[in-house]
Amino acid sequence: MKKRILVVDDEASLTRMIKRGLEAKGEYQVQEENSGERALVAARDFKPDLVLLDVMMPECDGGSIAADFEEADDLKHIPIVFLTAIVTREETDPCGTRIGRHTFLAKPVDLDDLVTCIKDHIGP
Amino acid sequence: MTDLQGLDSFVERWRAPAGRHAAVAIAAITAAVAGVGLLVYSTGGTAFAWLNLMYLPIVLSAALFRIPGGIGAALLAGLVIGPFMPLYVPRGIPQPAANWMARTGFFLIIGAFTGMLFTWLTAQYDRLKKAHEELLQSHRQLRDTQMELIQAAKLESIGRLAAGVAHEVKNPLAVIQMGVDYLDTSLNAGPDVKEVLDEIDAAVKRADAVIKGLVNFSRSEALELIPADLNGILESALNLVRHELKTEHITLETRLDRSISAVAVDRNKIQQVFINLFMNAVQAMEGGGSLTVTTEQRKLSGEDLGRLSHGKQRFAAGDSAVVVEITDTGPGIPEDKLDKLFDPFFTTKPVGKGTGLGLSVSRTIIDHHDAVIAIRNREEGGALATILFKPNRGRNPL
Repeated sequence: MKKRILVVDDEASLTRMIKRGLEAKGEYQVQEENSGERALVAARDFKPDLVLLDVMMPECDGGSIAADFEEADDLKHIPIVFLTAIVTREETDPCGTRIGRHTFLAKPVDLDDLVTCIKDHIGP
Repeated sequence: MTDLQGLDSFVERWRAPAGRHAAVAIAAITAAVAGVGLLVYSTGGTAFAWLNLMYLPIVLSAALFRIPGGIGAALLAGLVIGPFMPLYVPRGIPQPAANWMARTGFFLIIGAFTGMLFTWLTAQYDRLKKAHEELLQSHRQLRDTQMELIQAAKLESIGRLAAGVAHEVKNPLAVIQMGVDYLDTSLNAGPDVKEVLDEIDAAVKRADAVIKGLVNFSRSEALELIPADLNGILESALNLVRHELKTEHITLETRLDRSISAVAVDRNKIQQVFINLFMNAVQAMEGGGSLTVTTEQRKLSGEDLGRLSHGKQRFAAGDSAVVVEITDTGPGIPEDKLDKLFDPFFTTKPVGKGTGLGLSVSRTIIDHHDAVIAIRNREEGGALATILFKPNRGRNPL
Protein backbone atom coordinates (compact mmCIF):
# COMPACT_ATOMS: atom_id res chain seq x y z
CA MET A 1 0.00 0.00 0.00
CA LYS A 2 1.43 3.33 -1.07
CA LYS A 3 1.96 6.04 1.52
CA ARG A 4 -0.13 9.12 0.92
CA ILE A 5 1.62 12.49 0.92
CA LEU A 6 -0.16 15.84 0.73
CA VAL A 7 2.02 18.68 -0.58
CA VAL A 8 0.78 22.18 0.24
CA ASP A 9 2.71 24.96 -1.46
CA ASP A 10 1.60 27.97 -3.50
CA GLU A 11 4.36 27.24 -6.02
CA ALA A 12 2.50 24.92 -8.40
CA SER A 13 5.62 23.94 -10.33
CA LEU A 14 7.27 22.81 -7.09
CA THR A 15 4.33 20.69 -5.94
CA ARG A 16 4.21 19.19 -9.42
CA MET A 17 7.91 18.37 -9.29
CA ILE A 18 7.67 16.86 -5.79
CA LYS A 19 4.71 14.76 -6.95
CA ARG A 20 6.67 13.53 -9.94
CA GLY A 21 9.80 12.85 -7.90
CA LEU A 22 8.09 11.01 -5.07
CA GLU A 23 5.73 9.04 -7.28
CA ALA A 24 8.66 7.96 -9.43
CA LYS A 25 9.98 6.19 -6.35
CA GLY A 26 6.94 3.94 -6.58
CA GLU A 27 6.17 4.05 -2.88
CA TYR A 28 4.11 7.20 -2.64
CA GLN A 29 0.84 8.59 -3.79
CA VAL A 30 1.01 12.37 -3.79
CA GLN A 31 -1.70 15.01 -3.90
CA GLU A 32 -0.91 18.64 -4.61
CA GLU A 33 -2.65 21.58 -3.01
CA ASN A 34 -1.63 25.10 -4.04
CA SER A 35 -3.93 26.99 -1.71
CA GLY A 36 -3.11 27.15 1.97
CA GLU A 37 -6.73 27.87 2.80
CA ARG A 38 -7.81 24.59 1.24
CA ALA A 39 -5.17 22.52 3.08
CA LEU A 40 -7.55 21.22 5.76
CA VAL A 41 -10.26 20.32 3.26
CA ALA A 42 -7.69 18.57 1.09
CA ALA A 43 -6.32 16.67 4.10
CA ARG A 44 -9.79 15.46 5.18
CA ASP A 45 -10.51 14.45 1.62
CA PHE A 46 -7.18 12.75 0.83
CA LYS A 47 -6.36 11.40 4.34
CA PRO A 48 -2.58 11.69 3.96
CA ASP A 49 0.01 9.84 6.03
CA LEU A 50 2.18 12.97 6.03
CA VAL A 51 1.85 16.62 4.97
CA LEU A 52 4.63 18.61 3.31
CA LEU A 53 3.75 22.21 4.11
CA ASP A 54 5.21 25.47 2.84
CA VAL A 55 5.82 28.05 5.58
CA MET A 56 5.15 31.25 3.65
CA MET A 57 2.11 31.35 1.40
CA PRO A 58 0.17 34.38 0.17
CA GLU A 59 -3.15 33.89 1.93
CA CYS A 60 -2.06 32.08 5.11
CA ASP A 61 1.16 30.85 6.66
CA GLY A 62 2.16 27.26 7.28
CA GLY A 63 2.34 27.82 11.02
CA SER A 64 -1.37 28.61 11.35
CA ILE A 65 -2.30 25.72 9.07
CA ALA A 66 -0.26 23.40 11.34
CA ALA A 67 -2.08 24.87 14.36
CA ASP A 68 -5.42 24.13 12.67
CA PHE A 69 -4.28 20.54 12.07
CA GLU A 70 -3.41 20.21 15.76
CA GLU A 71 -6.79 21.48 16.86
CA ALA A 72 -8.67 19.09 14.61
CA ASP A 73 -9.12 15.67 16.24
CA ASP A 74 -9.22 13.91 12.90
CA LEU A 75 -6.00 15.55 11.64
CA LYS A 76 -3.74 16.08 14.64
CA HIS A 77 -2.09 12.67 14.28
CA ILE A 78 -0.74 13.53 10.81
CA PRO A 79 2.96 14.46 10.88
CA ILE A 80 3.84 17.74 9.19
CA VAL A 81 7.16 18.53 7.54
CA PHE A 82 7.69 22.18 6.74
CA LEU A 83 9.37 23.18 3.52
CA THR A 84 10.85 26.60 4.03
CA ALA A 85 12.82 29.17 2.11
CA ILE A 86 13.55 31.20 5.22
CA VAL A 87 16.20 28.95 6.67
CA THR A 88 19.25 27.85 4.73
CA ARG A 89 20.33 24.32 3.99
CA GLU A 90 23.31 24.72 6.32
CA GLU A 91 21.01 25.57 9.19
CA THR A 92 19.08 22.34 8.94
CA ASP A 93 20.17 18.74 8.84
CA PRO A 94 19.86 17.22 5.37
CA CYS A 95 16.89 15.25 6.65
CA GLY A 96 15.30 18.19 8.40
CA THR A 97 15.65 19.88 11.73
CA ARG A 98 13.07 19.35 14.41
CA ILE A 99 11.78 22.50 16.04
CA GLY A 100 9.25 21.56 18.65
CA ARG A 101 7.02 18.87 17.19
CA HIS A 102 7.73 19.74 13.59
CA THR A 103 10.50 19.14 11.13
CA PHE A 104 11.85 21.87 8.87
CA LEU A 105 13.48 21.21 5.51
CA ALA A 106 15.27 24.04 3.73
CA LYS A 107 14.44 24.69 0.10
CA PRO A 108 15.89 23.65 -2.28
CA VAL A 109 15.68 20.12 -0.96
CA ASP A 110 17.23 16.99 -2.47
CA LEU A 111 14.73 14.31 -3.47
CA ASP A 112 16.73 11.71 -1.54
CA ASP A 113 16.81 13.89 1.59
CA LEU A 114 13.07 14.41 1.26
CA VAL A 115 12.45 10.67 1.00
CA THR A 116 14.72 10.01 4.02
CA CYS A 117 12.83 12.61 6.01
CA ILE A 118 9.45 11.13 5.04
CA LYS A 119 10.67 7.64 6.01
CA ASP A 120 11.88 8.99 9.35
CA HIS A 121 8.32 10.04 10.10
CA ILE A 122 6.12 7.37 8.61
CA GLY A 123 8.48 4.47 8.05
CA PRO A 124 9.45 2.79 4.80
CA MET B 1 43.42 78.07 3.53
CA THR B 2 46.96 78.51 2.15
CA ASP B 3 47.01 82.20 3.18
CA LEU B 4 45.89 81.26 6.65
CA GLN B 5 48.58 78.60 6.85
CA GLY B 6 51.18 81.23 5.85
CA LEU B 7 49.92 83.57 8.55
CA ASP B 8 49.84 80.71 11.02
CA SER B 9 53.46 79.80 10.43
CA PHE B 10 54.53 83.51 10.68
CA VAL B 11 52.65 83.90 13.96
CA GLU B 12 54.00 80.61 15.28
CA ARG B 13 57.57 81.68 14.53
CA TRP B 14 57.34 85.17 16.01
CA ARG B 15 54.70 84.91 18.74
CA ALA B 16 57.31 84.14 21.40
CA PRO B 17 60.75 84.23 19.77
CA ALA B 18 63.40 82.12 21.42
CA GLY B 19 67.04 81.36 20.76
CA ARG B 20 68.36 82.78 17.52
CA HIS B 21 65.06 84.47 16.70
CA ALA B 22 65.02 86.21 20.10
CA ALA B 23 68.60 87.44 19.65
CA VAL B 24 67.77 88.83 16.19
CA ALA B 25 64.64 90.52 17.53
CA ILE B 26 66.46 92.13 20.52
CA ALA B 27 69.29 93.33 18.28
CA ALA B 28 66.79 94.82 15.80
CA ILE B 29 64.81 96.60 18.55
CA THR B 30 67.99 97.95 20.17
CA ALA B 31 69.24 99.15 16.77
CA ALA B 32 65.87 100.77 16.04
CA VAL B 33 65.86 102.60 19.41
CA ALA B 34 69.42 103.76 18.87
CA GLY B 35 68.62 104.77 15.28
CA VAL B 36 65.61 106.83 16.32
CA GLY B 37 67.75 108.43 19.09
CA LEU B 38 70.35 109.39 16.49
CA LEU B 39 67.62 110.73 14.20
CA VAL B 40 66.13 112.81 17.04
CA TYR B 41 69.53 114.22 17.97
CA SER B 42 70.44 115.07 14.39
CA THR B 43 67.10 116.67 13.51
CA GLY B 44 66.69 119.15 16.32
CA GLY B 45 66.10 117.47 19.71
CA THR B 46 63.46 115.85 21.80
CA ALA B 47 60.92 118.64 21.24
CA PHE B 48 60.53 117.61 17.61
CA ALA B 49 58.02 115.15 16.11
CA TRP B 50 60.68 112.60 15.04
CA LEU B 51 60.73 111.49 18.66
CA ASN B 52 57.34 109.80 18.12
CA LEU B 53 59.12 107.23 15.93
CA MET B 54 60.46 105.83 19.22
CA TYR B 55 57.03 104.24 19.82
CA LEU B 56 57.59 101.86 16.89
CA PRO B 57 60.39 99.73 18.45
CA ILE B 58 58.57 99.90 21.81
CA VAL B 59 55.35 98.51 20.26
CA LEU B 60 57.35 95.95 18.30
CA SER B 61 59.17 94.81 21.44
CA ALA B 62 55.86 94.57 23.35
CA ALA B 63 54.40 92.52 20.48
CA LEU B 64 57.30 90.09 20.58
CA PHE B 65 58.08 89.89 24.28
CA ARG B 66 54.81 91.13 25.83
CA ILE B 67 54.88 93.33 28.94
CA PRO B 68 58.59 92.77 29.83
CA GLY B 69 59.49 93.53 26.21
CA GLY B 70 57.38 96.71 26.16
CA ILE B 71 58.80 97.98 29.46
CA GLY B 72 62.38 97.02 28.52
CA ALA B 73 62.21 98.85 25.19
CA ALA B 74 60.54 101.87 26.89
CA LEU B 75 63.33 102.07 29.46
CA LEU B 76 65.96 101.74 26.72
CA ALA B 77 64.26 104.52 24.75
CA GLY B 78 64.14 106.66 27.92
CA LEU B 79 67.86 106.06 28.39
CA VAL B 80 68.62 107.03 24.79
CA ILE B 81 66.74 110.32 25.05
CA GLY B 82 68.22 110.86 28.55
CA PRO B 83 68.38 114.30 30.15
CA PHE B 84 71.71 114.83 28.40
CA MET B 85 69.92 115.12 25.05
CA PRO B 86 69.06 118.79 24.43
CA LEU B 87 65.49 119.95 23.96
CA TYR B 88 66.57 122.11 20.98
CA VAL B 89 69.92 120.95 19.63
CA PRO B 90 70.69 123.92 17.32
CA ARG B 91 70.10 126.41 20.10
CA GLY B 92 71.69 124.27 22.76
CA ILE B 93 68.67 124.44 25.04
CA PRO B 94 68.97 121.69 27.68
CA GLN B 95 66.09 119.30 28.17
CA PRO B 96 64.34 119.73 31.54
CA ALA B 97 64.35 116.55 33.66
CA ALA B 98 60.56 116.75 33.98
CA ASN B 99 60.24 116.63 30.17
CA TRP B 100 62.47 113.54 29.96
CA MET B 101 60.64 111.82 32.80
CA ALA B 102 57.25 112.53 31.22
CA ARG B 103 58.36 111.16 27.84
CA THR B 104 59.86 108.06 29.45
CA GLY B 105 56.60 107.67 31.38
CA PHE B 106 54.63 107.73 28.10
CA PHE B 107 57.02 105.16 26.64
CA LEU B 108 56.44 102.93 29.67
CA ILE B 109 52.66 103.31 29.52
CA ILE B 110 52.58 102.49 25.80
CA GLY B 111 55.09 99.62 26.26
CA ALA B 112 53.17 98.05 29.16
CA PHE B 113 49.75 98.61 27.59
CA THR B 114 50.83 97.16 24.23
CA GLY B 115 52.41 94.21 26.06
CA MET B 116 49.10 93.56 27.84
CA LEU B 117 47.21 93.90 24.59
CA PHE B 118 49.42 91.38 22.86
CA THR B 119 49.19 88.98 25.83
CA TRP B 120 45.42 89.12 25.50
CA LEU B 121 45.57 88.84 21.69
CA THR B 122 47.86 85.80 21.88
CA ALA B 123 45.52 84.11 24.36
CA GLN B 124 42.61 84.84 22.02
CA TYR B 125 44.61 83.57 19.06
CA ASP B 126 45.41 80.33 20.91
CA ARG B 127 41.78 79.89 21.89
CA LEU B 128 40.60 80.48 18.34
CA LYS B 129 43.22 78.18 16.95
CA LYS B 130 42.21 75.40 19.35
CA ALA B 131 38.54 75.97 18.49
CA HIS B 132 39.43 75.88 14.80
CA GLU B 133 41.29 72.60 15.21
CA GLU B 134 38.41 71.12 17.19
CA LEU B 135 36.02 72.31 14.51
CA LEU B 136 38.13 70.68 11.80
CA GLN B 137 38.29 67.49 13.85
CA SER B 138 34.50 67.53 14.37
CA HIS B 139 34.03 68.18 10.69
CA ARG B 140 36.20 65.22 9.82
CA GLN B 141 34.34 63.01 12.30
CA LEU B 142 31.01 64.26 10.98
CA ARG B 143 32.06 63.47 7.43
CA ASP B 144 33.27 59.98 8.45
CA THR B 145 30.08 59.32 10.39
CA GLN B 146 27.99 60.59 7.51
CA MET B 147 29.81 58.26 5.13
CA GLU B 148 29.20 55.38 7.52
CA LEU B 149 25.53 56.30 7.83
CA ILE B 150 25.19 56.36 4.06
CA GLN B 151 26.95 53.01 3.90
CA ALA B 152 24.77 51.60 6.71
CA ALA B 153 21.60 52.82 5.01
CA LYS B 154 22.81 51.29 1.77
CA LEU B 155 23.54 48.00 3.49
CA GLU B 156 20.23 48.03 5.31
CA SER B 157 18.25 48.57 2.11
CA ILE B 158 20.24 45.83 0.40
CA GLY B 159 19.54 43.62 3.42
CA ARG B 160 15.80 44.21 3.19
CA LEU B 161 15.86 43.58 -0.53
CA ALA B 162 17.98 40.48 0.02
CA ALA B 163 15.50 38.84 2.39
CA GLY B 164 12.72 39.21 -0.16
CA VAL B 165 14.87 38.12 -3.07
CA ALA B 166 16.13 35.11 -1.10
CA HIS B 167 12.61 33.87 -0.56
CA GLU B 168 11.54 34.43 -4.13
CA VAL B 169 14.62 32.75 -5.60
CA LYS B 170 14.58 29.71 -3.35
CA ASN B 171 11.24 28.46 -4.69
CA PRO B 172 12.33 28.28 -8.33
CA LEU B 173 15.62 26.78 -7.15
CA ALA B 174 13.67 24.14 -5.29
CA VAL B 175 11.76 23.35 -8.49
CA ILE B 176 15.00 23.00 -10.47
CA GLN B 177 16.61 20.87 -7.75
CA MET B 178 13.62 18.58 -7.51
CA GLY B 179 13.40 18.37 -11.30
CA VAL B 180 17.06 17.45 -11.66
CA ASP B 181 16.75 14.79 -8.96
CA TYR B 182 13.66 13.41 -10.69
CA LEU B 183 15.37 13.28 -14.09
CA ASP B 184 18.46 11.76 -12.51
CA THR B 185 16.49 8.87 -11.02
CA SER B 186 13.94 8.42 -13.80
CA LEU B 187 16.02 8.71 -16.97
CA ASN B 188 18.12 5.86 -18.03
CA ALA B 189 20.60 8.50 -19.06
CA GLY B 190 23.97 8.12 -20.71
CA PRO B 191 27.11 9.76 -19.27
CA ASP B 192 26.60 12.98 -21.24
CA VAL B 193 23.13 13.61 -19.87
CA LYS B 194 24.31 12.60 -16.40
CA GLU B 195 27.10 15.18 -16.66
CA VAL B 196 24.63 17.89 -17.66
CA LEU B 197 22.38 17.00 -14.74
CA ASP B 198 25.34 17.10 -12.35
CA GLU B 199 26.28 20.53 -13.64
CA ILE B 200 22.73 21.80 -13.14
CA ASP B 201 22.79 20.33 -9.64
CA ALA B 202 26.11 22.10 -8.88
CA ALA B 203 24.73 25.37 -10.28
CA VAL B 204 21.67 25.11 -8.03
CA LYS B 205 23.90 24.56 -5.01
CA ARG B 206 26.04 27.55 -6.00
CA ALA B 207 22.99 29.77 -6.37
CA ASP B 208 21.77 28.46 -3.03
CA ALA B 209 25.11 29.46 -1.48
CA VAL B 210 24.59 33.03 -2.74
CA ILE B 211 21.12 33.03 -1.23
CA LYS B 212 22.54 31.74 2.03
CA GLY B 213 24.92 34.69 2.07
CA LEU B 214 22.04 37.07 1.34
CA VAL B 215 19.94 35.62 4.13
CA ASN B 216 22.86 35.88 6.57
CA PHE B 217 23.52 39.40 5.41
CA SER B 218 19.94 40.49 5.82
CA ARG B 219 19.54 39.11 9.31
CA SER B 220 20.01 41.42 12.22
CA GLU B 221 19.26 38.80 14.81
CA ALA B 222 20.43 39.44 18.34
CA LEU B 223 23.89 38.14 19.05
CA GLU B 224 24.63 35.91 21.99
CA LEU B 225 27.57 37.80 23.39
CA ILE B 226 29.48 35.70 25.88
CA PRO B 227 33.03 36.38 27.09
CA ALA B 228 35.25 33.98 25.19
CA ASP B 229 38.87 33.31 24.41
CA LEU B 230 39.57 34.44 20.85
CA ASN B 231 42.58 32.11 20.65
CA GLY B 232 40.29 29.11 21.12
CA ILE B 233 37.85 30.35 18.47
CA LEU B 234 40.72 30.98 16.04
CA GLU B 235 42.11 27.51 16.65
CA SER B 236 38.79 25.79 16.02
CA ALA B 237 38.27 27.90 12.88
CA LEU B 238 41.76 26.89 11.71
CA ASN B 239 40.91 23.24 12.31
CA LEU B 240 38.01 23.61 9.91
CA VAL B 241 40.21 24.96 7.10
CA ARG B 242 43.21 22.70 7.78
CA HIS B 243 42.26 20.48 4.88
CA GLU B 244 42.22 23.46 2.47
CA LEU B 245 45.59 24.65 3.77
CA LYS B 246 47.10 21.24 3.16
CA THR B 247 45.58 20.87 -0.30
CA GLU B 248 46.83 24.31 -1.37
CA HIS B 249 50.30 23.76 0.15
CA ILE B 250 49.94 26.64 2.56
CA THR B 251 52.04 26.66 5.69
CA LEU B 252 50.44 27.95 8.86
CA GLU B 253 52.15 30.02 11.50
CA THR B 254 50.29 31.00 14.67
CA ARG B 255 51.53 33.42 17.31
CA LEU B 256 48.72 33.52 19.82
CA ASP B 257 49.23 35.57 22.96
CA ARG B 258 47.75 33.43 25.74
CA SER B 259 47.46 36.40 28.10
CA ILE B 260 44.88 38.37 26.07
CA SER B 261 41.64 39.33 27.79
CA ALA B 262 38.43 37.56 27.03
CA VAL B 263 36.18 39.27 24.49
CA ALA B 264 32.38 39.29 24.53
CA VAL B 265 31.50 37.56 21.26
CA ASP B 266 28.94 35.39 19.57
CA ARG B 267 31.25 32.43 19.16
CA ASN B 268 29.63 30.99 16.03
CA LYS B 269 29.41 34.31 14.23
CA ILE B 270 32.99 35.25 14.97
CA GLN B 271 34.15 31.81 13.94
CA GLN B 272 32.29 32.37 10.68
CA VAL B 273 34.22 35.63 10.18
CA PHE B 274 37.56 33.94 10.86
CA ILE B 275 36.79 31.06 8.49
CA ASN B 276 35.77 33.58 5.86
CA LEU B 277 39.06 35.47 6.21
CA PHE B 278 41.06 32.23 6.18
CA MET B 279 39.29 31.03 3.04
CA ASN B 280 39.90 34.39 1.34
CA ALA B 281 43.59 34.05 2.21
CA VAL B 282 43.68 30.46 0.93
CA GLN B 283 42.03 31.48 -2.33
CA ALA B 284 44.51 34.35 -2.69
CA MET B 285 47.47 31.97 -2.39
CA GLU B 286 46.95 29.62 -5.30
CA GLY B 287 49.93 27.33 -5.56
CA GLY B 288 51.04 27.79 -1.97
CA GLY B 289 52.10 30.40 0.51
CA SER B 290 52.06 31.14 4.17
CA LEU B 291 49.18 32.06 6.45
CA THR B 292 50.07 33.81 9.70
CA VAL B 293 47.57 34.29 12.50
CA THR B 294 48.50 36.39 15.52
CA THR B 295 46.73 37.71 18.59
CA GLU B 296 47.88 40.32 21.05
CA GLN B 297 46.51 42.89 23.42
CA ARG B 298 47.91 46.38 23.13
CA LYS B 299 47.17 50.06 23.48
CA LEU B 300 46.14 51.53 20.15
CA SER B 301 48.21 54.28 18.57
CA GLY B 302 47.06 57.07 16.30
CA GLU B 303 48.69 55.12 13.48
CA ASP B 304 46.50 52.08 14.25
CA LEU B 305 43.38 54.25 14.09
CA GLY B 306 44.58 56.00 10.92
CA ARG B 307 44.51 52.67 9.10
CA LEU B 308 40.82 52.14 9.78
CA SER B 309 38.46 52.88 6.94
CA HIS B 310 35.39 52.83 9.15
CA GLY B 311 34.38 52.51 12.80
CA LYS B 312 37.12 54.90 13.96
CA GLN B 313 34.80 56.31 16.60
CA ARG B 314 34.65 52.94 18.36
CA PHE B 315 38.23 53.31 19.59
CA ALA B 316 40.44 56.18 20.71
CA ALA B 317 44.22 56.36 20.76
CA GLY B 318 45.44 54.82 24.01
CA ASP B 319 42.48 52.40 24.27
CA SER B 320 43.37 48.81 24.98
CA ALA B 321 42.29 46.38 22.26
CA VAL B 322 42.56 42.68 21.56
CA VAL B 323 44.07 42.59 18.08
CA VAL B 324 43.73 39.65 15.69
CA GLU B 325 45.87 39.78 12.56
CA ILE B 326 45.60 37.41 9.63
CA THR B 327 48.35 37.71 7.05
CA ASP B 328 48.76 35.97 3.72
CA THR B 329 51.56 35.95 1.17
CA GLY B 330 49.27 36.23 -1.86
CA PRO B 331 49.39 39.00 -4.45
CA GLY B 332 47.53 41.47 -2.21
CA ILE B 333 44.50 43.50 -3.22
CA PRO B 334 44.59 45.95 -6.14
CA GLU B 335 44.79 49.46 -4.65
CA ASP B 336 41.68 50.66 -6.51
CA LYS B 337 39.67 47.80 -5.03
CA LEU B 338 40.64 48.31 -1.40
CA ASP B 339 37.83 50.71 -0.53
CA LYS B 340 35.19 48.45 -2.09
CA LEU B 341 36.14 45.27 -0.23
CA PHE B 342 33.25 45.41 2.19
CA ASP B 343 30.60 46.35 -0.36
CA PRO B 344 28.00 43.63 -0.91
CA PHE B 345 28.57 41.67 -4.13
CA PHE B 346 32.03 43.08 -4.59
CA THR B 347 34.52 40.31 -5.28
CA THR B 348 38.05 40.05 -6.62
CA LYS B 349 37.59 36.37 -7.31
CA PRO B 350 36.82 34.88 -10.72
CA VAL B 351 33.17 34.30 -11.61
CA GLY B 352 31.82 31.36 -9.66
CA LYS B 353 34.60 31.43 -7.06
CA GLY B 354 32.96 33.77 -4.62
CA THR B 355 29.61 35.30 -3.91
CA GLY B 356 30.97 38.73 -3.02
CA LEU B 357 29.05 38.58 0.22
CA GLY B 358 31.64 37.05 2.53
CA LEU B 359 33.38 40.23 3.60
CA SER B 360 30.24 42.35 3.78
CA VAL B 361 28.61 39.72 6.00
CA SER B 362 31.81 39.57 8.06
CA ARG B 363 31.84 43.30 8.47
CA THR B 364 28.19 43.32 9.54
CA ILE B 365 29.01 40.70 12.18
CA ILE B 366 32.08 42.62 13.33
CA ASP B 367 30.04 45.85 13.48
CA HIS B 368 27.48 44.11 15.67
CA HIS B 369 30.31 43.26 18.08
CA ASP B 370 31.29 46.94 18.28
CA ALA B 371 34.62 45.79 16.85
CA VAL B 372 36.43 47.01 13.74
CA ILE B 373 37.89 45.18 10.76
CA ALA B 374 40.42 46.64 8.35
CA ILE B 375 42.16 45.05 5.39
CA ARG B 376 45.25 46.44 3.73
CA ASN B 377 48.22 45.39 1.65
CA ARG B 378 51.52 44.80 3.39
CA GLU B 379 54.67 46.46 2.14
CA GLU B 380 56.34 43.03 2.09
CA GLY B 381 53.52 41.75 -0.14
CA GLY B 382 50.29 39.95 0.62
CA ALA B 383 47.25 41.18 2.47
CA LEU B 384 46.72 41.80 6.17
CA ALA B 385 43.34 41.67 7.88
CA THR B 386 43.23 43.30 11.29
CA ILE B 387 40.32 43.01 13.69
CA LEU B 388 40.19 45.12 16.82
CA PHE B 389 38.01 43.90 19.67
CA LYS B 390 37.20 45.66 22.89
CA PRO B 391 38.49 43.53 25.75
CA ASN B 392 35.95 42.26 28.20
CA ARG B 393 36.51 43.95 31.57
CA GLY B 394 39.18 42.23 33.64
CA ARG B 395 41.87 39.94 32.32
CA ASN B 396 41.47 36.20 31.91
CA PRO B 397 38.10 35.80 33.58
CA LEU B 398 37.58 32.52 31.73
